[in-house]
Amino acid sequence: MAHAVEHEYTTTGLNHRKMLMWVFLGSDCLFFGSLIATYMVYRGQSLVGPYPIDIIDVPLTTISTFVLLMSSFAMVQALSATHADDKKGIVNWLLATAFLGAIFIGFQVYEFNAFKNEGLTLGGNLFGATFFTLTGFHGAHVTLGIIWLVAMAILGAKGRLGPKTALDVELVGLYWHFVDIVWIVIFTLLYLIGGFDVGPAAPPGGH
Amino acid sequence: MAHEIEHTANHPTFKQYVVIAIILFAITIVEFVLIWERAYIVDYLGASKVPLLIALSAVKFAIVIMYYMHLKFDPRFFGTVFIAGLVLAFLVGIALIGLFVGFEGNQRTYAKANAIPYVHHGAEESAEGEHGASSETKHETPAVVGPVALVVSAVGETLTFDTNSVSAKSGSEVTITFDNPSANNQHNLVVVQAGTKDAVATDGTTAGPTNDWVSPGDERVIANTALINPGGSGDVTFTAPSPGTYQFVCTFPGHNFTMFGDFIVD
Repeated sequence: MAHAVEHEYTTTGLNHRKMLMWVFLGSDCLFFGSLIATYMVYRGQSLVGPYPIDIIDVPLTTISTFVLLMSSFAMVQALSATHADDKKGIVNWLLATAFLGAIFIGFQVYEFNAFKNEGLTLGGNLFGATFFTLTGFHGAHVTLGIIWLVAMAILGAKGRLGPKTALDVELVGLYWHFVDIVWIVIFTLLYLIGGFDVGPAAPPGGH
Repeated sequence: MAHEIEHTANHPTFKQYVVIAIILFAITIVEFVLIWERAYIVDYLGASKVPLLIALSAVKFAIVIMYYMHLKFDPRFFGTVFIAGLVLAFLVGIALIGLFVGFEGNQRTYAKANAIPYVHHGAEESAEGEHGASSETKHETPAVVGPVALVVSAVGETLTFDTNSVSAKSGSEVTITFDNPSANNQHNLVVVQAGTKDAVATDGTTAGPTNDWVSPGDERVIANTALINPGGSGDVTFTAPSPGTYQFVCTFPGHNFTMFGDFIVD
């Protein structure tokens, strides 16, 4: 690359920091994969309500999914601005990404609160336990990403981001897009497919 | 601007990113419309909505990692590392679902049919005693000629019978009254040919509760009570077969391992 991306020597010929990020994301697949599988194992096993059909609001979550997709678009623009050495663009797009992420978290806070008021708790039934664990950990990832993005925006405002440090922006971007794709899976399985699950057809008979 | 040209050759342009974003939005809208009851597509789709939705989200997933995460333009090894994790995660998920749900049939039925009853230490010892000391067999009722009335009871929640042996004279009319004092468990009492209690119980599992957990027409079964609810009682009358040692067992899935005894005909 002409714009002097540092050609540091590595045994693989690949940048170590970028490799580390991809290895981390690969391992995070296992983390979320296990939580998703746990949700699927216990899907439809709750014996007391509320059940997904009672509380899942698919239209609302479709909107928050849009917001998260939009934030990924802002993220790639931040990276483009970094490559183009557009100092103002870097900060604006990074903040836009963080802002959209914060809106997503706002939706999640609203949703969690609404679910709690409907009686869904972490310890109430299997649906609550697996739902809150999975979406809660995803929300924690998003929150971490927001903190990282704001920190990068501050660096950008100080003029420390540009083509030479594009990798710094690229790494937060990889993390952010990963959080986005995890949500794509969660949204499909927990909302579009699992959001209409009802409780047991008949009350559980004596064993 | 040599570097600008090289840059655009390796990464999508602003316009391309916009197109990608629009595609992602469009797919999400399609997904929503597919399951939106007011679009009336979901009724038409039925169960086929699941693979359809999974396929659509897989396309979104692929677009994001290929373009937004530019795996399409980066050295392949980054993608290999990530896909390795993804494939492992997928296999872990399949394994978990296979272990806990089973790949076919109703989850709960599968779990119940495969459940191994919890036997605490004390019950285990007495179960061993049943096999070891046959001389200690306690006769509920002495064998007499003519009609024989036997009473057998389940013991609390321990998944055992209160006796490990009952007997009757060959050819006599035997009535076994079975009491189930348990607060939670359904039980039955099935008299079977020697050594067949587990095989009969296994086949009974397939027959299900509507058949009282006994396979209809099972030739190894000599007689059986109905499935007795907690706190209930039932009886069965039959003619004692030719002399020998038979077994009685509860064929409720899983109970046969601890809940059985000998039926001795002399």
